[in-house]
Amino acid sequence: MQTSGNMKWLWLAIGAIVMLALPQLVSSSFAIDIFIRILLFSFIGVAWNLMGGYAKQLSLGHAAYFGLGAYTSTIMQVNYGISPWIGMIAGGVVATLASLPIGWLCFRLRGPYFTIATIATAQVLMLIFLKFRDFAWGAEGTTIPNLGSAPLMMQFEEKSSYYYVVLGLLVVGLWITHQIEKSWIGYYLVAIGEDEDAAEAIGVNAPKVKRDIYMISAFLTALAGTFYTQYIYFIDPATAFSFSVSIEAALVSIVGGIGTLWGPVIGTVLLETTSALLQSWLGSSVGGIQLTVYSLILMAVILWRPTGLIGFATDVYHRTLRRKPARA
Amino acid sequence: MADALVIKGLSKRFGGLRAVQDVSFTVQENETVALIGPNGAGKTTSFHLITGFHRPDSGSVLAFGQEVVGLKPHDVCALGMARTFQVAKPFGAMTVLANVMTGAFLRDRHVAAAQKKAREAIEFVGLGAREQTRARDLTTIDQRRLEMARALATQPRILLLDEVMAGLNPAEIDQAVALVKKLSASGLTIVIVEHVMRAIMAVARHIVVLDHGQKIAEGAPKEIVENPEVIRAYLGSYVHPTAQGDAHA
Repeated sequence: MQTSGNMKWLWLAIGAIVMLALPQLVSSSFAIDIFIRILLFSFIGVAWNLMGGYAKQLSLGHAAYFGLGAYTSTIMQVNYGISPWIGMIAGGVVATLASLPIGWLCFRLRGPYFTIATIATAQVLMLIFLKFRDFAWGAEGTTIPNLGSAPLMMQFEEKSSYYYVVLGLLVVGLWITHQIEKSWIGYYLVAIGEDEDAAEAIGVNAPKVKRDIYMISAFLTALAGTFYTQYIYFIDPATAFSFSVSIEAALVSIVGGIGTLWGPVIGTVLLETTSALLQSWLGSSVGGIQLTVYSLILMAVILWRPTGLIGFATDVYHRTLRRKPARA
Repeated sequence: MADALVIKGLSKRFGGLRAVQDVSFTVQENETVALIGPNGAGKTTSFHLITGFHRPDSGSVLAFGQEVVGLKPHDVCALGMARTFQVAKPFGAMTVLANVMTGAFLRDRHVAAAQKKAREAIEFVGLGAREQTRARDLTTIDQRRLEMARALATQPRILLLDEVMAGLNPAEIDQAVALVKKLSASGLTIVIVEHVMRAIMAVARHIVVLDHGQKIAEGAPKEIVENPEVIRAYLGSYVHPTAQGDAHA
């Protein structure tokens, strides 16, 4: 096992060097923008995957926490001049607190009913921010004042700086996932996802475990919300609480492989790259064709590889090396 | 001997159906008691009531003197009462070892310690060779063994086994009987719901018979098989146990 452990560190080191060097080697700001999107949605996917993947609680309402994070830091910055670095943490705390009543309501339901309830919570929050103009600018939203180069206010002149910020977020998300995966919590999450009654019968306090992982998931998702707003210098309820954020979070994990450490990252790389390439190749020819091809790819993955690309790769790996599969 | 489990006046209705009506019985420490009765007699419902999966309308369940009615299943398990399910519920995507470790985490959150405890339980039920197999790939009897190992890993004092022998062939039933005896010899108090009479006769010292949610008889196996109420409940489908080993209700 010593060699495989060393191999793992070698791969991680190579990966780290490539990821750190990437924005220096690529000068196209279009490419760096795609990299940032990939890292951001990987991170959101990682946050979603903790609860949606390991514990199989299929939330389609994570936009609620993305939006709460975005609005908390923006309100603090625009109205009170507080740095988004602090606002980011505050947004995480707000999202964590909000996850308690939302979870309390939604976890009473199981399966598709749970999923529908989570969609509803994100929509309700969007409506609240649309209607209440006094503290959050209503439907028209607001732009973030551009301060030029102000790293302490999370504003950078170089796109590559945003790249490093979101890369850092992703590393934190992956590290947390790894710690959870190898501890008793990881076993409890998978057990709940497999069979909640059986888990309860062997002493797993399923409601508490679900509540706790939901809090962590909400916290991380909120950090992504703050980052995104700072990156695009704009916020309104429709982008902050966008249903597509909720969908994307689930989708990248499902395509990559739910309940696996790297699944959301691999899923995002595939989906974002495909979407960007299709857009540049087909976008101008026939309207909507890139979305059609994109959807077909999605359907193919979900129909033929329901365990995601990681499951596919693991299968091939074990078949060729004739080894027994490891714990899921 | 001390009372391990005291059940008093347990009742549960589902709409108009009286699933369990005023059932009382006592299980002494390190005793194996069988709960039998025709299909729909309320055996599995009784298990659900005892282990916190359903809340009884009335009645009390004392485990080593502590009231468990109103507790959640995980609390009941933490008090030392573990169960298996009629239809085995393995965590299919996990290996056998990971399944059983999940049970062991109740008493020890450390991975290495849980792994050690899990391996002991896996060896005990005879699944040692299947440790790295995914649970969904196990045969029926091995899934039942896995459920027992997972329950054992929570270090229970009372074990409730719900039809662990259903669907097994005669040779496998012998293995399962041997396993239940081994569990009992290790000091566990066991309540077993079973249809296979041969197995019940082999493991139980005391039998409680349910029919239409009510207790109709209780006693030593020999008394039970000669009890006219019991024979009537089984409507003649029940042959003398010594004549027909696997008489099925």
